[in-house]
Amino acid sequence: MAVSFEYVAKETATNLWRNRMMALAAILTVAVSLSLVGTALLLRQAVNRQIGQWSNNVSLQIFMDAGATSTQVTSVRSTIAQTPQITRCSYLDHAQSYAQAKQVLAGSPTAIAALTPATTPTVFKCQLKSPGDAATVATTFNSGVPGVYKATSPSQSIRVMQQVTNVLQLILLVVAIVLLVSSLVLILNAIRMAIFARRREVGVMKLVGATNWFIRVPFMLEGLVQGVLGALAAVVIVLLSNVGVSYLIRRYKVLGSAVLPVHDLVVTELVVMLIGVVVGVAGSSVAVRRFLDV
Amino acid sequence: MIRFDNVTKSYKNLRPALDDISLEIQKGEFVFLVGSSGSGKTTFLKLLLREEVPDSGTVWVAGRDIGELSQWRVPYLRRNLGCIFQDFRLLPNKTVTENVAFALEVIGRPRTVVRTQVAQVLDLVGLGEKGDRIPDELSGGEQQRVAVARAFVNRPLVLLADEPTGNLDPATTQGIMKLLDRINRTGTTVVMATHDVGIVDTMRRRVVQLDQGRLVRDQARGVYGFGEDMTVSSRGVPAISVAGAAGAGYDASGDPLTGRVATVRARRGTR
Repeated sequence: MAVSFEYVAKETATNLWRNRMMALAAILTVAVSLSLVGTALLLRQAVNRQIGQWSNNVSLQIFMDAGATSTQVTSVRSTIAQTPQITRCSYLDHAQSYAQAKQVLAGSPTAIAALTPATTPTVFKCQLKSPGDAATVATTFNSGVPGVYKATSPSQSIRVMQQVTNVLQLILLVVAIVLLVSSLVLILNAIRMAIFARRREVGVMKLVGATNWFIRVPFMLEGLVQGVLGALAAVVIVLLSNVGVSYLIRRYKVLGSAVLPVHDLVVTELVVMLIGVVVGVAGSSVAVRRFLDV
Repeated sequence: MIRFDNVTKSYKNLRPALDDISLEIQKGEFVFLVGSSGSGKTTFLKLLLREEVPDSGTVWVAGRDIGELSQWRVPYLRRNLGCIFQDFRLLPNKTVTENVAFALEVIGRPRTVVRTQVAQVLDLVGLGEKGDRIPDELSGGEQQRVAVARAFVNRPLVLLADEPTGNLDPATTQGIMKLLDRINRTGTTVVMATHDVGIVDTMRRRVVQLDQGRLVRDQARGVYGFGEDMTVSSRGVPAISVAGAAGAGYDASGDPLTGRVATVRARRGTR
């Protein structure tokens, strides 16, 4: 038997309106928890992009003097080859180095303007067996090797930042999960109240032979609508916060790489939406199964 | 139409609610189910609706063993069974028309069908003019008529009534009984559980008496019961009348003493 669309829509709408306080609580909790989920996801992507840009998986960069001779470069290359802690190394000539500098300094056009390919130091990007060796290896190259301008390892601050964001992310996710569970329970409870408020109707429906699905569908849909409305609110919040952060980044020209491409944002919003749907359907199915004995 | 084969049903109590009941009800019969509270009348009706399943034995409705029905088919069984109750069970926030229409809407009948059927059945129960009222604005008798309309609007094969007159005064009761009789005359089987001595005695229809879950009497054209305080009725009183309920003596064919024998397998009584 086809469940009439009109009937289901009407029932769901009246149900939601009758229980609007309960529904509002459920929707808001879904919205808040999903905003946190969305924010955590965006944060992770932004931090990964930024850090990836900074370190590019390189543990040690050896900058040559801008005017280093090719002999000096060759001798540094052989020194690198003899250093056991270094596993792999690539050399960026002036042009490549300039290209990289432009990326790194994307946020500060004045600094880029000051550079030309010729004045940009060439650089060896090396990977180490263990990142812990970075400091000692850097010191050996910094102690007067001819032609070497400076050897740097990813600064302590990057690592600290990475750890801080990891912890922050974890906290956000834990809070989000707790909130998601509570929004599931709230939806479940809202549906239970709706079932209780309509027990007379449900009784009559059973009596006159309405099918189980006909009785269940409006309640299931009610939960779905709550989940979706909450998710929609979360999508808007996530979008706004992303816009706000991007604005700040452009304004203060820092962390240029932390601006996320549209693609990442869309994927994140879809994930948020999907979680909202799942929470809504799960909450109402449990309620319908537990409290609606058809 | 309805057959019970050695049906036993117990709840958590020691004594079964129904104990080895066997009986058959033909299509178009009007059967009173009598007995004191706790005698098993309601369990009998619940088994027919498959709100309960028997512990042993089989219940047949319209040629089907309803114990065999899968859960999803139960609603389709119930579409063949109309139900009315002592407490009417109307939806208080819907009008009379909406209450009756609800029964058809929720089983997916098209709107045009709903409109015509509802109008018809409201005329049948004599509430054609009151379709826009809500139940609270109606008298008890009128509310029960709405309930009858709702139970009958889908033209069920069987109408089950669980003490439908329990909340009504004698005059109103008479009206409801007239209505049930009319529905019965359309060929609908009616099974009515009741305590009302007056109606059983005046209607002179088949009486099935339960006592502590056992079938103790099954009598065509029976009266309610017997004993020193028994209300008796006289023969020749029109079937639908409570006026003669407190009348003269027994008549031979309805002799309650022979009715004590539980094995009388009644057939549809003559009107």
